[in-house]
Amino acid sequence: MLLEAKNVSKAFGSFRAVAGADLSVESGEIIGLIGPNGAGKSTFFNCIAGDMPVTTGTIVFDGHDLTRSAPEAHALAGIGRTFQVPATFEDMTVLDNVMVGAFLRHPHRNDARDHARQILDLTGLAPLANNWARTLGTPGRKRLEIARVLATTPRLMLLDESLAGLTPTELIEAIALVRKIHETGVTIVIVEHIMEVIMTLTKRVLVFNQGHVIASGKPEDVVKDEGVIEAYLGRGKHTKRG
Amino acid sequence: MTKFSPPWSALIIGAILLIYPMVFSGAFYLDIGTTFLLAAISASAWNIVGGYAGQVSVGHSVFYGFGAYCPLLVFQLFGWPPLAGIPIGIGVSIVVAILIGLPTFRLTGHYFSMATIAVAELIRIFTGTWDLVGAAIGLQGPAVARGWWDLTFRGELPYYYIFLGVLAVLLVITAMMERRRFGYYLRAIKTRERAAQSLGVPVLHTKIKALVLSAVFTSIAGSLYSLKTGFIDPESGFGILISVQMVIIAALGGAGTLYGPLLGAAILIPLQTATNTWFGGGGSGLTYILYGGIIVIIARFEPGGLLDLWDRLAPRKWRRSRAA
Repeated sequence: MLLEAKNVSKAFGSFRAVAGADLSVESGEIIGLIGPNGAGKSTFFNCIAGDMPVTTGTIVFDGHDLTRSAPEAHALAGIGRTFQVPATFEDMTVLDNVMVGAFLRHPHRNDARDHARQILDLTGLAPLANNWARTLGTPGRKRLEIARVLATTPRLMLLDESLAGLTPTELIEAIALVRKIHETGVTIVIVEHIMEVIMTLTKRVLVFNQGHVIASGKPEDVVKDEGVIEAYLGRGKHTKRG
Repeated sequence: MTKFSPPWSALIIGAILLIYPMVFSGAFYLDIGTTFLLAAISASAWNIVGGYAGQVSVGHSVFYGFGAYCPLLVFQLFGWPPLAGIPIGIGVSIVVAILIGLPTFRLTGHYFSMATIAVAELIRIFTGTWDLVGAAIGLQGPAVARGWWDLTFRGELPYYYIFLGVLAVLLVITAMMERRRFGYYLRAIKTRERAAQSLGVPVLHTKIKALVLSAVFTSIAGSLYSLKTGFIDPESGFGILISVQMVIIAALGGAGTLYGPLLGAAILIPLQTATNTWFGGGGSGLTYILYGGIIVIIARFEPGGLLDLWDRLAPRKWRRSRAA
């Protein structure tokens, strides 16, 4: 087992954003996390990435307990994450952004730059290497975030709506990129609202609602689940339609 | 690397600074020269933590003050050469930097800025009442040099070249820092700390390292000041105006750039000297007005400083940035 998150909960005062969620990820999988807005998906991601300390539960990655570790320890262990709102380093070039990630495993500048250039080639950002990050549009920034995480040589990538807001053509390219990354041996957990992405990329889906995992299984089965339909459309509405 | 500082610019700046005393050999101009170099050293030292890492210290005079007091204190207490006090000032500054940085860098927001200003003011007030360090009267260095090691010279020229040497060392270290992992990490932390952390950047450790490096050179600047003037009191060592001057000089030229503090000092110091000369004692509050005016202008029109303005207006081949 690559990642084992057990009974994870995160409370903000009396509000429990995540309430006892479990996630087990085998090496080589692509797993989808779906759910309505405010279901707790991103908070769950933040807990797994070490960005937020969990209130209860444990996070074990490749046999190492990371429950109380800082985010940099998670990155060093091999967990990389993107942010829902792209968090690129605006005053740095595209190459420099990726080099910040590359420095994790390549402390010397020339090695880091060589590694970063390989990543830029893989992600199709090589022609933009010397552009300022702030000049990129949304698709470019999302791609840059993925490239930056990839430069840390992660074993598990957590993609938080990295494909949202793209045009249909950009979406096709982005799906191909995620596939390409997966083929290099990286395990992927993806939070996404676009069902096309989930149905195309994943073999297993977990559905979040109000901080709980309410369903899991194959994407084609999960979308037919009564509880899932109710979570998305509200109680009673789907039955009236039917 | 986002900023490209070609070697020829270093050579030109170095050559200008080397020949300056030969062209302007009068005592008045030499005094402006040494004051400029000292201000450039202080602002460049502040720039490491305030400019590159974006952790704005408004109380850097605390390190400057320790650096300034220690050489004269070891002379007054033990008769040692003031030179011996420089490493002691550095040591004390490192300890204080870690004590300030460790708790405040764990927090987000302006806690670090507030802590630096509070510590600097507390120490200024405390120094003013402590007899061992001369209380409000301050300390004096050797009136007559007992040997070269006292670093007490009659003219300004030896100080000018000592200051220039220290500035050169600081700029070389900063330039090396810019090109290494440490420099990349500082700029990443400045822009988006959370994202930097998620990429494995040890944020707390990197900030502390930057603060310690900054404190070391600020302390050296303080030591150079007291060696040159042969006198130090609470206001000229720990006064808030010293910290404010470092911030303004770096921000005016371009915080987070190698030559920004030099440009800022090259503008502010002659301007400050001119206003002091023209208005004499009657214009004693003009420095505050000048600083306030510069803060307003930078904040309103040019937050990136003059080098940033240059990058926008100059022909492409003359710009410092390599971004397309």
